[in-house]
Amino acid sequence: MSEEFSVVGKKIIREDGVEKVTGRAKFADDYKFPGMLHAVMVRINEAHAKINEIDFSALENEPAVSIVSASDVHGSKKVGMIKNDQPVFCSEKVVTPGDVVAMLVGESESKLRSLLPEIKIDYTPLPVLTDPEKSLNKNSVLIHPETGSNLIVHHPLRKGDVEKGFEESDEILEQTYKTQLIEHAYIEPEAVVAIPLGFSEGIKIIGSIQNPFTARKFVANVLNYPLAKVRVQQAHLGGSFGGKDDTMCILSARAAVAAIKTNRPVKIKYTREESVLESYKRHPYILKYKVGYNLNGKIKAMKIDILADGGAYASMSPFVTWRSVVQASGPYEIENVQTDVRAVYTNNPYTGAMRGFGSPQPIFAQESLMDEIASRLGISPDEIRRINGFKNGSVTATGQILKDHDVNLKKVLDVACGNTDFITKWKSNRDQKIFSLKYDPSNPILKDNQFIDPPENIRKGIGLAVSFRGCSLGAEGIDAASAYLSVQNDGSIYLDCGLAENGQGLRTTYSIIAAEVLGVSAEKIIYLELDTGITPESGPTVASRATLMGGSAVKNAAEILRDRLINLIKEEFKLGGEDVISFRDDLVFSRKKGLITKFTDLCKLAASRGINLSAIGWYKSPKVDWNEENGQGDAYFTYVYGCQIAEVSVNVSTGEVYIDKVTAVHDPGKVINKLGAEGQVYGGVTQGAGYGIFEEVTADNGFIRELNFDTYTIPTSMDIGEIKPVFVEGKENYGPWGAKSLGEPTLELTAAAIANAVSNAVGRRFYSLPLNLEEIILNKKLRPAGTKRGSSL
Amino acid sequence: MKMKVEFKLNGANVSVFAEPNRRLIDLLREEFELTGTKEGCGVGECGACTVLMNGRAVNSCLVLAVQAAGNEITTIEGIANGDLINPLQKNFLEFGAVQCGFCTPGMVLSASALLDKNPDPTEDEIKEAVAGNLCRCTGYKQIIEAVKETARLSRKN
Amino acid sequence: MIPSLNVIFPKNLNEALSLLSDNSDSSKIIAGGTDIIPGLNQELNRFKEIKNLIDVNQIPELKGIIRSKEKISIGAAETFSDILQNDTVRELFPLLWKAASGVGSVQIRNRATIAGNFVNNAPCADSVPALLIYNATLEIESLSSKKEISLNEFLSAPYRTKLNRDEIVTKINIPFADKNFTGEFFKLGRRRAVAISRITLALLVDWRDSVINEIRIASGAVTPIGARFFELEKYCSGKKADDQFKKDLSRKLAEQIIKVTGLRWSSEYKLPVVQQVCYQMLKNIESQHEYGI
Ligand SMILES: Cc1cc2nc3c(=O)[nH]c(=O)nc-3n(C[C@@H](O)[C@@H](O)[C@H](O)COP(=O)(O)OP(=O)(O)OC[C@H]3O[C@@H](n4cnc5c(N)ncnc54)[C@H](O)[C@@H]3O)c2cc1C
Ligand code: FES
Ligand code: FES
Repeated sequence: MSEEFSVVGKKIIREDGVEKVTGRAKFADDYKFPGMLHAVMVRINEAHAKINEIDFSALENEPAVSIVSASDVHGSKKVGMIKNDQPVFCSEKVVTPGDVVAMLVGESESKLRSLLPEIKIDYTPLPVLTDPEKSLNKNSVLIHPETGSNLIVHHPLRKGDVEKGFEESDEILEQTYKTQLIEHAYIEPEAVVAIPLGFSEGIKIIGSIQNPFTARKFVANVLNYPLAKVRVQQAHLGGSFGGKDDTMCILSARAAVAAIKTNRPVKIKYTREESVLESYKRHPYILKYKVGYNLNGKIKAMKIDILADGGAYASMSPFVTWRSVVQASGPYEIENVQTDVRAVYTNNPYTGAMRGFGSPQPIFAQESLMDEIASRLGISPDEIRRINGFKNGSVTATGQILKDHDVNLKKVLDVACGNTDFITKWKSNRDQKIFSLKYDPSNPILKDNQFIDPPENIRKGIGLAVSFRGCSLGAEGIDAASAYLSVQNDGSIYLDCGLAENGQGLRTTYSIIAAEVLGVSAEKIIYLELDTGITPESGPTVASRATLMGGSAVKNAAEILRDRLINLIKEEFKLGGEDVISFRDDLVFSRKKGLITKFTDLCKLAASRGINLSAIGWYKSPKVDWNEENGQGDAYFTYVYGCQIAEVSVNVSTGEVYIDKVTAVHDPGKVINKLGAEGQVYGGVTQGAGYGIFEEVTADNGFIRELNFDTYTIPTSMDIGEIKPVFVEGKENYGPWGAKSLGEPTLELTAAAIANAVSNAVGRRFYSLPLNLEEIILNKKLRPAGTKRGSSL
Repeated sequence: MKMKVEFKLNGANVSVFAEPNRRLIDLLREEFELTGTKEGCGVGECGACTVLMNGRAVNSCLVLAVQAAGNEITTIEGIANGDLINPLQKNFLEFGAVQCGFCTPGMVLSASALLDKNPDPTEDEIKEAVAGNLCRCTGYKQIIEAVKETARLSRKN
Repeated sequence: MIPSLNVIFPKNLNEALSLLSDNSDSSKIIAGGTDIIPGLNQELNRFKEIKNLIDVNQIPELKGIIRSKEKISIGAAETFSDILQNDTVRELFPLLWKAASGVGSVQIRNRATIAGNFVNNAPCADSVPALLIYNATLEIESLSSKKEISLNEFLSAPYRTKLNRDEIVTKINIPFADKNFTGEFFKLGRRRAVAISRITLALLVDWRDSVINEIRIASGAVTPIGARFFELEKYCSGKKADDQFKKDLSRKLAEQIIKVTGLRWSSEYKLPVVQQVCYQMLKNIESQHEYGI
């Protein structure tokens, strides 16, 4: 029997809910300061060009307008998450249309925007590289000549001997898959204010910032300030999904440079168009898979070659693609694996972190592949996964033995299939009459036998996808988190954790954890605003590490305080050392004597005895190790497992895909925050569905066509039927009560499950996301010439 | 040239001067500091800027400030009629309909305009009523549940 | 950014017409503003010269939906939401009702007016095929003149109409049909709500003993502007409405579209889809007709 919980796993209302639902919650653009100036960006309308001269002379009669450019940057002129390749202000060349060469700073934003056309920039266009497959050609233009190559990173992985594996295989299948560039599409565009605090105190930044500590590092480097002189406060964040990291760090740095130069608070606020233009996106991948298998369904060898378009800057590409190399062969035990993942520079919009982080792309490929193998062998999709799927003690492609947790892959698969009557539906859809709608591109007029009679134009399909996902950062970086907890004399509690809220509700999760340990109601806990001046650094809110890492730190802090209180009680109430003290319902009990006191009275007592009731909790992840040369090692200290099943209706005459239902079965370890966990599933599946069927940023020579929500279509309330979350709570040694990750697993599977469902419906496979109207009908994408927006015919 | 604009804002008569090219959203946020009205796209697609105009949901990024003249505007700050929160807002909290919260004010206003004219909406009617409010976090499910429950409770009373 | 301009609020039609006749070069009507405001914001060429916006929302002559013996008259400044609440439209002009219900979102429909939709005359304007198919006519006034012309004649090219700068559309008149029409309106977008139309198609059919008495066909977003296909309609009358006919008609529609539009980047997708959709709509209409719906 598992522990009994009083707060964990129950329905708890968000700690910031009332503020948000009344419109009082302050987001970055809601902050205003006396004397505040605005800054607008100066850009060159080119994807690749050498800057010769920028002529600001037309602004000479505008004394109230300051110009801020590279010459105002006294510290690092270039910044980056991993490589410092991104100029704060470009002074030599631009490498993508979003690049900023200078800023105009003044009182009225509209006035500044009207001055932009007055600035004359002399530049020499350079050849534009947009095809990542040409990026490594000898004669291709170099995006960053100083690096000597357009290769950002190459991760190799070698396990066993693939060539031998292929030889021993009964059949070999080779396929190439493509995934698209997509936008995070947080509804709040970027905004930040920098406030100069005077020489001795430095500068304060308030913004829509995903990771305040990273922003602090960028700002400090650019200003050449010590970290302690830069205070970053996170405003309520209007969505991020991994997207408000580097972009916001750079915007913070630009605002800071302007604030120091003008000695006034400076705000930068992006329009949606600017946000889409400049912010980084999800990597498009080209994935080549070669797989050898036996007629009994056992996979013998897999060879994978992945090319990721990193766009103009390295950003998080090295880490995003690292997760891909670990997970590319899926949750399958395969003797021989050879994987190469490369990320390259182009002049396209740059790509970085986004919820899923290098997993949705290979999952689409590998799960499509599994279904294709199954259909060649005449077995069902679940069967092929049962034959090859991980179980306790399996060895991964990186040579890691899965242990210390329930390897619940088969369990999530069973639960999902059971919940949806998968096999029956899959078989009956498969056996539908197939239309071979091969339209002749040279003659668009249909033949008699090509017309489809209603209702046969609507075809049902069901498809599944499974995954395993490494928790937290893994061998990407040092992984530790901290939390601050302070109990006041009256029993009210302050809580703060260095992992920043991104809107998903992790502050609520942390409050629940602290409340559970101290046996108080979650409302007792007052969550402090994250301020890098006060909160200890805990690394970024990425990689679905918040519950696992931050939650463990909070639990540690709460346990430190609880233990101090227990000592006090035992002394004060003369209880034996062996007595067990428990905290529950705002009361304190002894196993022997029953109710001892109220929590509030205990706090009063502690204060009068001079007991320190503040603590810093700490959690450092277990060691992982990694060999760069052969991609072998214990990549992550633990994993989560998920299975999603999509049920779709495909209109085979128009190409419309409607998602009737997604059943999402996940093992996130223990569910701490029930409402939050379900919310993660609904939100993640919906984003994954958008990725699967309609979202795509396309560019013409580096210029984005879909700059706003009229053409970049994300799912509305009417686009998805039903989403059903199911949690399988597996045993886990790490994390607070075994809680692990959920945010990203929910998103990474959906597109793959949909693609398999659509294939089940139409009897044809798809190799390129998204499965939009044209892809379904023609098996290809169509693009208008140029970047004209709107309803071009 | 600035024009005088008189209208009813969250129940009170107000009078301001506004440039004719100013949008209602800017007037609300900057002049009245009603920052619960959000801008997500500026082109009528996201609904974060939704306010009620004579009880109907409109995108305040597509209304000129001077067009508010003579009309009744309700923003999120005025939706609870002076209480801290109304039953709809309460259900948004109870059902987990709020994540980042950026879409929430607009979502609440669209839903409350629906409930005002249709106290017993079907699920499809609810989905349609909030289709002009994009939410990237919640997948809409818990929002729809919150609206349903509010309708159910208000019918009971 | 919206450039600086004046906004004027005339209280009646005459006042509005006088304002227009005084400054017709620099003045433009604003109704719901759902095309003009984003257009001004993006500094589109179409809206470059505007100095005065004349807001027609308070003009009583442009409001109201009136049913008379032979027609329904819709005030030009009626919003799509208003139109959706009208029972006559719902019962007697179901294709218009359906088209209106698919425009943007609730927020858009609460502002967007019907006249604004076809005066703007985007290729994807959803009201256009629905109004064309019902033979809608427009009442247009200036200070010195008053006329009534058909919508079909009024629309000239993408984002262009025959409206003179000093004129206002005051009413849309739609005659009740003297036929026993069954019909359908179809809209295809990239998603199920708030979607720019990729294809719209409207069909009305009157059959007698499975012979076509009259058929009307209109489309949007596959032709440069929403259009009727009169030639094709003529070809159909008297034909036996079997499946072969439905296929032939669908193919001929595609041929007509190619003739008017030429081949575009999207034709490879749109042309086969239009044929399928046209065929399926005819099948659906037939079954409704058979069951007397
Ligand atoms: C987010 C969004 C989604 C949309 N979705 C759709 C959609 O799905 N389908 C669709 O068809 N449209 C759609 N539209 C466009 C639609 O809202 C407009 O075409 C609308 O109908 C225009 O009406 P309005 O009153 O807002 O026009 P305005 O913007 O006020 O005016 C448009 C034009 O009409 C002129 N005009 C207006 N009234 C008159 C009059 N009485 N006499 C003479 N000239 C006049 C104006 O001078 C101007 O040139 C969408 C728009 C947005 C912003
Ligand atoms: S900001 Fe008005 S609809 Fe998006
Ligand atoms: S809660 Fe974040 S956009 Fe809706």
